[in-house]
Amino acid sequence: MVHIFPENLSSALASMEIPAKVIAGCTDFYPSLENGHVPDRIVDVSKVDEMVGITKTTPGWRIGGSTTWTKIIDYPFPPAFDGLKAAAREVGSIQIQNTGTIAGNICNASPAADGIPPLLTLDAMVEVQSADSTRLVNVEDFVLGPRKVDLGTNELVTAIWVPETRNNTTSSFLKLGSRKYLVISIAMVAVTLSISPQGLIEFLNIAVGSCSPVARRMPVLEKKLTGLRAEDLLDDIRIEVGDLTGLTPITDIRGTSEYRQSAVRELCQSTIRDAIVKSLEIT
Amino acid sequence: MATVTMTVNGKSVSGEVEGRTLLSDFVRNNLNLTGTHIGCDTSQCGACVVHVNGKAVKSCTMFALEAEGSSVTTIEGMANPDGSLGTVQQAFQDNHGLQCGFCTPGMVMSAAALLEENPNPTETEIREYLEGNICRCTGYHNIVKSIQAAAAAA
Repeated sequence: MVHIFPENLSSALASMEIPAKVIAGCTDFYPSLENGHVPDRIVDVSKVDEMVGITKTTPGWRIGGSTTWTKIIDYPFPPAFDGLKAAAREVGSIQIQNTGTIAGNICNASPAADGIPPLLTLDAMVEVQSADSTRLVNVEDFVLGPRKVDLGTNELVTAIWVPETRNNTTSSFLKLGSRKYLVISIAMVAVTLSISPQGLIEFLNIAVGSCSPVARRMPVLEKKLTGLRAEDLLDDIRIEVGDLTGLTPITDIRGTSEYRQSAVRELCQSTIRDAIVKSLEIT
Repeated sequence: MATVTMTVNGKSVSGEVEGRTLLSDFVRNNLNLTGTHIGCDTSQCGACVVHVNGKAVKSCTMFALEAEGSSVTTIEGMANPDGSLGTVQQAFQDNHGLQCGFCTPGMVMSAAALLEENPNPTETEIREYLEGNICRCTGYHNIVKSIQAAAAAA
């Protein structure tokens, strides 16, 4: 087995010319090995300079792919990122957050990946690079299915981009699990929204995870709630079955399909309320 | 096989490892530091927690090669230079913060990481920080008490 530790981007990309398994925080890699067989060639990108850390630029924030969840929790993001931070705090445990990375969470492409719903509501994009090209893909288009992402064998996810958000954007993330800690979610919901000076919902992005092969945005519900009076929604958010499109929750060890169907509506309501309360507090 | 070099408990060490050798196996088998326990082998139970460059990590899901050049502290590094128990260890002994003791190395390492970040944690903060450390004997009560005592003693 060859284990390669590139320290800069050009050598990392060069090392991808020969197909390799890419690791960073390594928190999912070892436990999920089948029969304990380790791949022949491993590229560890956790120390690639250009892939670690967060920078604010004019079009938005660049979060290096190998940035750990702990670094994301500690970074002074605006309230629009509260949902992403809340999700980061739900990833495994403290020790996992200390080593697990944002690109690893996305590329692992679990239907229950905590990081993906908040990124969907932030319209985040994935920066994908190979030795001779760079492209940006929406998170939505990048994650194709369970354990499947739009990534060539010679490519690396080098960063996550979050476009500039409106000043008054708030966000929230709630995860339903069978216990409080160290748990894989039964369902999870992320919301970002802003409220106009007149008290109306200016925009509302909502994404649901763990209830379909890939977490997804809920465009019908978003459209229905946009323009409504935010305070009215604190009392009553009506969510019909048809508002949550594309959810196909499975029955598994963590919950039945029926339970997920009903729990997710409740969870959507709570997450929206939470984001509204935060928004009313800061204005 | 490859050679890996790191600092463990203040001493520079190196050893021959396979690419697949985990940090937990390296400290136990190559260095004979068997205080680090392996419980679940899947990053859940927290018995294997060590510090890598000051951060608590689960050594059963980190390759030894990933720790190349790092500074690692294991439970053996928590004692005072004269061999007497360190503050956190002493607090666990004084407050009966263990029964079978299997989870204790990981508990002590997580507690030390917490106190480094937050010298005066509340009970809730202690319980939250221990989310990645599982104890099946104590019900956590005396573990929390031990960490509170360690905070007061520091």
